[in-house]
Amino acid sequence: MNLQSRAITWVWGLLVLITIGTGWLAPAAHTNHLAQASLPITVLVLALALIKSRLIIRYFMEVRNAPRWLGLATDGWLAALFGAVLVIYLV
Amino acid sequence: MPGDINMWVMVLGDMIIFAGYFVIFMIYRSMNRQEFLLAQQHLNIAIGVTNTVILLTSSWVVALAVQAVRAGEFEKSTRLVLAGGAGGIAFMVLKGYEWASKIAAGHTNSEMFYSFYYVITGVHLLHVLIGLIVLGVVVRELRNPAKRRPAMVETGATYWHMVDLLWVIIFALFYVMR
Amino acid sequence: MSVITPEQVSPTATDGGKRDVWWMTWFFPAWYAVFGVIICLLTRVTPPPRPDVTAAGKVEFFAQHHLTIQIGFTLLLILLGGAAMTNGLVAYQMKRMSVGSAFAYGYLGGMSVGAIPGFLLVTVCFLTAAFRPDRNPELTSLLYDLGMLSYNGSLGCFSVAYLVLAIAILYDRNEIFPKWFAYISIWQIVTEVIATQMFVFDSGPFAWNGSISFWLAVVVFSVWLGALIVLLRRAAAAESADAPALD
Repeated sequence: MNLQSRAITWVWGLLVLITIGTGWLAPAAHTNHLAQASLPITVLVLALALIKSRLIIRYFMEVRNAPRWLGLATDGWLAALFGAVLVIYLV
Repeated sequence: MPGDINMWVMVLGDMIIFAGYFVIFMIYRSMNRQEFLLAQQHLNIAIGVTNTVILLTSSWVVALAVQAVRAGEFEKSTRLVLAGGAGGIAFMVLKGYEWASKIAAGHTNSEMFYSFYYVITGVHLLHVLIGLIVLGVVVRELRNPAKRRPAMVETGATYWHMVDLLWVIIFALFYVMR
Repeated sequence: MSVITPEQVSPTATDGGKRDVWWMTWFFPAWYAVFGVIICLLTRVTPPPRPDVTAAGKVEFFAQHHLTIQIGFTLLLILLGGAAMTNGLVAYQMKRMSVGSAFAYGYLGGMSVGAIPGFLLVTVCFLTAAFRPDRNPELTSLLYDLGMLSYNGSLGCFSVAYLVLAIAILYDRNEIFPKWFAYISIWQIVTEVIATQMFVFDSGPFAWNGSISFWLAVVVFSVWLGALIVLLRRAAAAESADAPALD
């Protein structure tokens, strides 16, 4: 396995770990009582989703090794989307 | 640049369109917080997590397939792409089961949260289907000694990773956040 | 027969191309511009009036726009054929692709079928409603709904045409249209599949005036149409003026 493949595999492991971890935070994971809105949980979930998304973009889609404009465009997209989601949630 | 520019136009444009859907979803969510929260609780988190892991794994093997084709390991690359496709099929089957059980439990379009849920996961499912066709074309070209080239696998992989990326966000917005 | 000779009146075709193709290539955006004026400014069907109003509200809509609806839609009835001509131009370019003519005919057929619910039905319904302003409001309400649902909801009819266009472009070795346009055509299919929801909701994001069913779809359509107009011009210029005629 070459260096790139190893990095990709580590990223995959991290992504799966985060996913299973956050699953536990979901409203549907606790059906014994009524779910409550939670700012800290949502902020954490969004932050983790942002990290997962950026990992997929940079390592799986190889934007890390792509021309700079592509990295800027995808980072811009992430910032705009997650920024908008957070702002709408907070308002 | 991994893959060809035409696919990147597709991927970036698709990401922008989905971002539009997500923002509109969030706006309606913020107008109906309690209703959405209660509706979310009826989602099947086990399937949600499983499907996310399936797509992440499928993306992983497709990324490895790109590494393999660059090293000239065409057989290995083909097997990895097929594995990725199998993940896609598994995802679709689970999603179908999930929808069926939700509808049977009475959660239909008439609830606003679910109207968004079915439309957005439905459009995503359409993308998975298209992705399976793309991966199929990649496999066919890999098997043909005259046509196999890394650029082709890279292009298909870029599309497939986008499908995974969008799902990761759908998972966060619909299943997990509160 | 007196013919306007190409040397006297012709669009500029400095980098090649055939006369008749150039005329049609200029006609395409001209027709769509007129169509845009008709649907947006005269008949007011784009953006659409609301689905969630009472029969009285619908009668009020027809009363308010009575004159411009009649002018706009009678004009459209005459110019209707222009849509078929624009489809013919795209089909011509598709015939120049290496994939063979079947896809071109598929596109032409699909788009033509779509035009009937696409805008002919709303034309007839709205003209009928405007014809007798003192009609029973429930009947006027029906004509309003029928017109709007067919106009906005029939988008699915075009899906197959976009599909064959996308497939043709992806397999075409003559590079008549760039591959990214195939992907934009696929976006069109996606938005049109979503548009089916407007038959279920009379308010909210999936209604025929909703942010997802309508507004987002209009943005995607505008991108598609704008790209197509530019690409048709490019394709016309790239064709050599003395290339053999297609059969």
